[in-house]
Amino acid sequence: MKPVVPQAEDEAVVITHEDVDRAHDRVRVSTARAQRGFFSRARLLWLLVGPGVLVMLGENDGPSMLSYAATGAKFGIGFFIPFVALTFCMAIIVQEMTVRLGAATHRGHAELIFERFGPFWGWFSMVDLGIGNFLTLITEFIAVRAGLGFFGVPPWIAILIALVILYAALMSHRYWTWERITLAAALFNLIFIPVALMTHPSGHSVAHAFLTWQPLPGFNKDTLLIVLADIGATVTPWMLFFQQSATVDKGMTTKDIRFGRIDTVLGAALASAAAIATILATAPLFAHQMTADNFQAAEFAQALQPIIGRFGASLFALGMVEAGIVAAITISASSAYAFGEVAHKPHSLNLPMGEGKSFYAVLSVCAAAAAGIVLIPALPLVYVVLLVNVVAVLAMPPALVFLFMLVNDKEIMGKLVSPWWANILATAVVFILAGAGVLFGISIIAPNIFAALGGT
Amino acid sequence: MPTHNPPAAASDRILVLSSLEPDQLARAKKHHIPRRRLKGFELLILWALRLYLIFMMVVVAYQVWIARVH
Repeated sequence: MKPVVPQAEDEAVVITHEDVDRAHDRVRVSTARAQRGFFSRARLLWLLVGPGVLVMLGENDGPSMLSYAATGAKFGIGFFIPFVALTFCMAIIVQEMTVRLGAATHRGHAELIFERFGPFWGWFSMVDLGIGNFLTLITEFIAVRAGLGFFGVPPWIAILIALVILYAALMSHRYWTWERITLAAALFNLIFIPVALMTHPSGHSVAHAFLTWQPLPGFNKDTLLIVLADIGATVTPWMLFFQQSATVDKGMTTKDIRFGRIDTVLGAALASAAAIATILATAPLFAHQMTADNFQAAEFAQALQPIIGRFGASLFALGMVEAGIVAAITISASSAYAFGEVAHKPHSLNLPMGEGKSFYAVLSVCAAAAAGIVLIPALPLVYVVLLVNVVAVLAMPPALVFLFMLVNDKEIMGKLVSPWWANILATAVVFILAGAGVLFGISIIAPNIFAALGGT
Repeated sequence: MPTHNPPAAASDRILVLSSLEPDQLARAKKHHIPRRRLKGFELLILWALRLYLIFMMVVVAYQVWIARVH
């Protein structure tokens, strides 16, 4: 995006608090970039990582970790180990485009859709995002409640703890500080790795699964639901909106795209390690032929206790709590960014409370409303948990087409439009997602046709 | 931006103008990006995917209803 500030004298340019904070961050990046040597490169990477790692570990959220846990318990070590790694490759392809878009245009995703395609299409994508984000937020608080429930914490205290952490991260009114606090919390997602090691998974079985994609699961409705849930656990619409907005808020420019890509790949590597570890952690439940169809976080931890002990089960439950809290922070930020971009209200985590009332209000109200719903007794929340990832997969193809059109728009991207090979990969992702959705639809409304296709 | 922003100090102004690209300024976001006219094929894809999504949401709602009934 070429400069849109009118040709005015410097004195006429309005400087805001947000600009000053972002300028301080950019000075540190410029200083690190000007120096040579390994440590300067490492410092530059440290300064520029954030949106990619956050979005990937943020997407390892409550329902995602439950999907991975259910995958391990239902199918053990086999096809789904490399499949989950493949879904993260799809996530890299998709999320890299948002880095380029954000760095080239300095505009958020919702803003670009509204401005380039008009409010008619803009509102469609906003409704998709709003509904998806709110349902997902509810599931994050369910994960926190269930995880802390393992330790006997009453639901209302569990929800309160989650909200306090979410609001505490915002209190700095500084993107950099918010990002570092959330990153530190997100790295706790790797707690699933020691849990997996406690189950003593067979290295041979894992290597065999990676190399051969076997044993294959049967082709039936349950498998299809898990396939959809695992895809929905890695690629979802909120990730597009969040990473692009965070890239802009961080102040990244076209010079930073290479590090933005490294950030995205690093995030995907960490998140896939945690996801595969979760599958390995619950694989013993499959070996013991335990039914885990309707398990929630606490039930998985309890079922694993005889195998990995109280300490291991506690780590598993804490991992679920972390997954819920970090995702609640990032998803509510994604909603607030999108609202600010569309309503043309200030939208940055660098804003002081007085200047960013609407931004912080949307973020806080979304989180508080979702948290409140979780506390309503006898609400059938289990359906939300089961279907939220499926809904994410279904909503992804329309979101990806907007992304695809924007990232190939020469008027705003200039030379940074996608190369042909990236377009082929992105098109393949759209077809895979749409195909999985269609198969899911057939399995529900026409089970006979599904059976004729080979499913049961 | 709200009009009650206090004027930036001269040092801040220099810092911002020397380290941010012009369209990174919060104020620059007020300027609209020109609308793009969608082509027939693009509209067809967007409408097809919109209908796909609406239809699939009905399927999901049906599945939830079936699961609750049984």
